[in-house]
Amino acid sequence: MARNTPTPGQKIIYFIFIALGISILYIDINSKIFSNVKNNFQSYKITSSFVIKNISVNSLKEFIEMMSSKQKLLNENTLLRKKLDESYLKNFLITKENSFFTDHTEVVKAIKDDFVIESFHFAKLKQIDPNIFNCCDRHRIYIEILDKNKENFKEAAVFNLNGIIGQVVGNGSQNEVILLTDVKSSIPIKNSRGDFFCNAMGSGRANHISCTYNQLVWIDEHEIGDSYYSSGLGGIYPKNIKLGELSSIEIIDSSNTKLEIKLVSSPLDTNLFGVIKI
Amino acid sequence: MIISLIKKTILIILVSYLDYKISYGLSKIYVILPLTFLAYSFFLYKSDSNIGPFESFATGMFVDLLTNSYFGHNAILFCFASYLINTYSNTFKLFSYFQICIFFGASATAYVGFSQIILNLYNFSYLTLFLSGIFNTIFCIFIAILSVYFTSIPGRKI
Repeated sequence: MARNTPTPGQKIIYFIFIALGISILYIDINSKIFSNVKNNFQSYKITSSFVIKNISVNSLKEFIEMMSSKQKLLNENTLLRKKLDESYLKNFLITKENSFFTDHTEVVKAIKDDFVIESFHFAKLKQIDPNIFNCCDRHRIYIEILDKNKENFKEAAVFNLNGIIGQVVGNGSQNEVILLTDVKSSIPIKNSRGDFFCNAMGSGRANHISCTYNQLVWIDEHEIGDSYYSSGLGGIYPKNIKLGELSSIEIIDSSNTKLEIKLVSSPLDTNLFGVIKI
Repeated sequence: MIISLIKKTILIILVSYLDYKISYGLSKIYVILPLTFLAYSFFLYKSDSNIGPFESFATGMFVDLLTNSYFGHNAILFCFASYLINTYSNTFKLFSYFQICIFFGASATAYVGFSQIILNLYNFSYLTLFLSGIFNTIFCIFIAILSVYFTSIPGRKI
């Protein structure tokens, strides 16, 4: 659609407005007659932008900050928890000296020997099936050993805050661990007096291992509640670490007796483990 | 009528804010892009009917108030732009996009020059004027290219 070009009358109006504009511009440059209007408008502009910003942007910002600080706190909490677990594991020999060892001097020896620090790694639990752990014979878990190099971890002992839980049997990005309760697992144990030694086998039941011995060869003075420790004879597990307490004695026949020991540690206790290779 | 006025006012405020935000960055490369002026010129060009001198004058005064410049500065230039575009509104139809872009670029450069004379006489810079002229023309060509190649958006085609 065609637009009409300005008529001479309209051109005069344009001229009048331009002349008016020039006059206002001249007055404004040479006097402060409009300063009040400008100042009031600027203050109104600043106030309204402040109010709008306060209502919209700042509220949103505060909300986001609140959410992020909450997430930050959660992350910090997780991190602190992990550090605490690590600290417990690092010092587990010291913190558990009364219950782990046969006597107090063992911990001093362990620290002096420095065997824990030399070959110590943290590991994270990657996979465990609690149903199989509670029902079946094959008790295995998978862990991821942290900060590991190309070291071979096969036959390294795995423990948690409460004590030994098993040994590494598989290498790879995730390491398979055979638990003490697996029927194929075996750990040399001894009693607190040090006059009885036996190879305890996994019972296939959660938190229980059993040891069968010939009462004609070994003394037969066991009581329910007696503590049993690792003897360290197999060369895999460190010696003198408390494994559990005697929960039942079963006389199989005239020459064989079966002791059942309830373990103090369970793989379900924590997600963080220590791996020692001695 | 009122809705249209509110729309125009909000658009002017937005474009003026954008102009204010980009001016600092462009000033580092000696370029002044009068976005508000160009937007208003484009509005005048696109309008189906003639925009009268009073409306242009009032809009210019409002922009002066918003940008805290001298009263009359934008009012005169908006009025003059309105006069020119209304006068040549039918002639523009014979022009190519490129010629129209040069026209808008030149008018934006004139705006920059006039503004420099009013606001910054003692530091008047030909370099700024020259670079702004080139930049504004390229900017107009760029907008024209956008409107030619992306016609799917309603009302974008010039």
